[in-house]
Amino acid sequence: MRVLLLVLGLLSATAWGQDPAPQDRVLNGDAKCTRCHDENDSYPVLAIGATKHGTRADPRTPSCTSCHGASEAHMSHKGGSGAGPRPKPEIGFGKHAKTPIDTRTKACLTCHQGSSRVEWQMSAHARTDVTCSSCHLVHAPRDPVRDRVAQSDTCFTCHKEQRVQVNRPVHHPIPEGKMSCSSCHDVHGGNPKQLTRDSTTETCYTCHMEKRGPFVHSHPPVQEDCSICHQPHGTTIASLLKSRAPFLCQECHSDTSHRSQAGALPSGRTTSSGLTGTVARGCMNCHTNIHGSNSKENSATSGRFRR
Amino acid sequence: MKPTFKLTALSAALASAPGFAQAQAEEAELAALTRPQSEVSVGLGYWSKDRPRLGTYDGMSQKGPYGLLDALINTRDDRTGTWFILDGRNLGLDTRELRMDWLRQGNMGVFLEYSRTPRDEPYTVFTGVQGIGTTTQRVPSPSATSLGELHLGTMREGLGAGFTKVLGGGYDFRVSFKSEDKTGDRLWGRGGAAEFVTEPINSNTRQMEAVLGYSDKKFQINGGYYGSWYTNHNALVDTALTTGASPFFLSLPLDNQAHQLYANGGYSLTDATRATFKVAYTRATQNEDIPVGAVPVFSGAPTSLDGRVDTTLLQAGLTQRTSSTFSWLASLRHYESDEKTPQVRVVQTGATCGTCVDTTPMSYKTLTGKLEGTYRMMQGVSLLGGLEYSKQDRTVPVGNFNAAGVDLQRFVPFRSELDETTLRLEARRSLSETLNGRIALSHSKRDGSDYTLTNEPKGDQINPIHIADRDRNKIKLMLDWTPVQPLTLTFNVEHAKDEYGTSDARPFGLTEGTASLFSIDAAYAINEKWQLSAWYTRDQTEAKQLGQRSATDGAGEAIKSANLEDVGDTFGIGLRGQLMPKLKAGLDILYSKNVNKYPEDISLIGPGTVLPASGGVTTSPLPNITNKLTRVNLHANYALQKNAEVRIDYIYEQWKTDDWSWMFADGSPFTYGVTTDGTQVQQAPKQSANFLGARYIYRF
Repeated sequence: MRVLLLVLGLLSATAWGQDPAPQDRVLNGDAKCTRCHDENDSYPVLAIGATKHGTRADPRTPSCTSCHGASEAHMSHKGGSGAGPRPKPEIGFGKHAKTPIDTRTKACLTCHQGSSRVEWQMSAHARTDVTCSSCHLVHAPRDPVRDRVAQSDTCFTCHKEQRVQVNRPVHHPIPEGKMSCSSCHDVHGGNPKQLTRDSTTETCYTCHMEKRGPFVHSHPPVQEDCSICHQPHGTTIASLLKSRAPFLCQECHSDTSHRSQAGALPSGRTTSSGLTGTVARGCMNCHTNIHGSNSKENSATSGRFRR
Repeated sequence: MKPTFKLTALSAALASAPGFAQAQAEEAELAALTRPQSEVSVGLGYWSKDRPRLGTYDGMSQKGPYGLLDALINTRDDRTGTWFILDGRNLGLDTRELRMDWLRQGNMGVFLEYSRTPRDEPYTVFTGVQGIGTTTQRVPSPSATSLGELHLGTMREGLGAGFTKVLGGGYDFRVSFKSEDKTGDRLWGRGGAAEFVTEPINSNTRQMEAVLGYSDKKFQINGGYYGSWYTNHNALVDTALTTGASPFFLSLPLDNQAHQLYANGGYSLTDATRATFKVAYTRATQNEDIPVGAVPVFSGAPTSLDGRVDTTLLQAGLTQRTSSTFSWLASLRHYESDEKTPQVRVVQTGATCGTCVDTTPMSYKTLTGKLEGTYRMMQGVSLLGGLEYSKQDRTVPVGNFNAAGVDLQRFVPFRSELDETTLRLEARRSLSETLNGRIALSHSKRDGSDYTLTNEPKGDQINPIHIADRDRNKIKLMLDWTPVQPLTLTFNVEHAKDEYGTSDARPFGLTEGTASLFSIDAAYAINEKWQLSAWYTRDQTEAKQLGQRSATDGAGEAIKSANLEDVGDTFGIGLRGQLMPKLKAGLDILYSKNVNKYPEDISLIGPGTVLPASGGVTTSPLPNITNKLTRVNLHANYALQKNAEVRIDYIYEQWKTDDWSWMFADGSPFTYGVTTDGTQVQQAPKQSANFLGARYIYRF
């Protein structure tokens, strides 16, 4: 019996030494590609097997050629002197690939046009030649742009102003990883500013629902657009305000008395409204319910967001 | 499918054969590369000092040790395509979150999640106000001489769940629900004068969204419901002086809810032509009983608001690639916010309307049309031209007029119509291996109808920023240059200028605004083991603001001209590399300096002083404010074995500010009240701290 096993072992070893027909390694039908491309290649590819695309039990998952095209010229190139460089795959996604943007995008939308991407072609990103692979690393086991902590690095590749703003002392918790750009922006959608909801206010209400009202005493700009007063990406002013009181308030208000005061700091303790429009919470020292008030006090004061 | 072996006599024999061990190693290596990987990280970190500003959101604002625990269990059954993912982050911190996903890919999935988001107020409050954190607060009278230290903050704690199902035939269904509690306290004011109280926060929000989707090669559509509910467990805050005098009852947001039905979809008429649409209807309501304190109430005031806002969105778009060189896009969007809250009187201090306040339901609708064409020239060069037109109709049907027809309740002039036209031109170069980029120019012009005037002639002299006539010009330049293979440089230059229309009758408000940005990024592969990246950005905004000042507190009537400026310089450096075969290291540096300037010229046109004074208190012009942030992060990973490593992090950070927001003119702490209160709100002008953390990371 031991002799038989030894013979089997030797036979097996002999078989190992032969060059068997290439087999699929991570994707259905990938053998013709992975016979050359692996992790040691300049374009490492195998990690896609750890992704949703590499879940071969799901019959919807692609082969290499589903995205990169049949690429016959690339595969049949024999090399050797005078043969010239190997042609690239039909569809390339690298930063310097020659494949037209529409063609690259179409390779993904063939399967992914539904769900949140139905309006992709109308989106600001599509209109500025951003394609799926501009942001997504399809072969990476964990696509950074789909990770809340890492996502902003991808966005900041183009959005330099926002990269600076989120590092200002007052910001949404984006650097801390508790929010990401896509918390507010639907980067595939067709809404203005590519927001997740249909307007700025509706987007802000998803977390700041207390500002929705309707209030007994309304402050019209609040209902219209939060970004009239707030810079959501980051500022140096408390509450993400674009400008400080009284300057911010005086972009709309030019009334008499204390409302027209200049920006100035008092020398000492005072309750004069003409001297306290800048210091501390500025105008909001008294107009404390600036987003709207629900007071029924029978006083004009209640209509001025002071109750 | 991954081959499996049974340890039989045969396989044992094979295993003993030459080459088998190598094949097995290759198999293991392939599996490590191509199968989902799990990771657990356990460690301890220590911050050397309190860091109230920079630790606002990260759950580590206090000096001391912190547990560093993260876990990602990421598994997939290859046979069935079933994923199980358990992702726990910051489990040793106040920012902890945990999410569990179970997914049978291509069939169905569920998720559960829990998260906490703290916000530690960066200011320290020293106060004698009683009842902080409750709905009954008393402000010291006379001023407190003994002040207690108070650290405010809020906590959001959320639970979520979701379910997805592929129904077959192109249909799929998704539903998600999230409930979030928010508790804590934030800085507030008592409303009657500059006196301190806090807003007690104890509320809950719930959101649910259910979507049925359909998708085939040509047609995709989603139809859904999105509901959101806000519940505030507090409704009114009773404040007064400790003597019982000056009782002010401060209102809080009331419960509200919104329900939305929507559908959006697209149809690819041909390979080159696609039409999209979106429709949505939302009804938001607020009808809770309006709480009243021990204050007089107008007999005609409603007991509840019956507040309602109906929002309608209609949107359609068409895009076509007419030829290999030309494509175009057209879209039309109608967005209408129709407030149906009854117009009712809330305040009336006399038998007739002496002082009256009515509700002011505001409605607006915006129609936006867009047309764009892109011509693709040779060698990846494209030219784009676009035109966008926006028309807005706005109403606030206030009926509180005096005999002269002037709206007594309006403080800001109002425009019922706004129109804006934007022209865009852009040139792009892409698909080059060395130099890509784009230059974009846009010009927009906004104007509108005549203004509805207010009850205050001086109030009518302003052009409110969001409805004023405005010419806006923008230019953006981006270049992406690879001069040699290991080096990539990216340049961004942006400049925008807004000019606001003024007239003799309406000279005040923002007259000009500019924003500019210059940014350069460099990425350099030093060799196979080391990569360097660096970036620098300078951003600058200016706002010129003209205003009038009425004579008050001894200051004379004047014309004010402010030139507000904000200049930022920020750079970052990142270095990654391999020091030894088992040792990887990295360095990240971030430096940011931001200067805010507040120069304001005051030209007197009447008798009085330049700046006001009252009760012996004078005022001074505003100094600049400078904020500086420095953060240095050194980290190293040492591989103990193939799937385990130790990571060491060292962070030095410093934040400096001379922000005067809570200071008197001489730099001493601002103090609330004169004879009452005495609260101070302070922050350390220089906050430096060091962090040292060590983690053991195991992958499997």
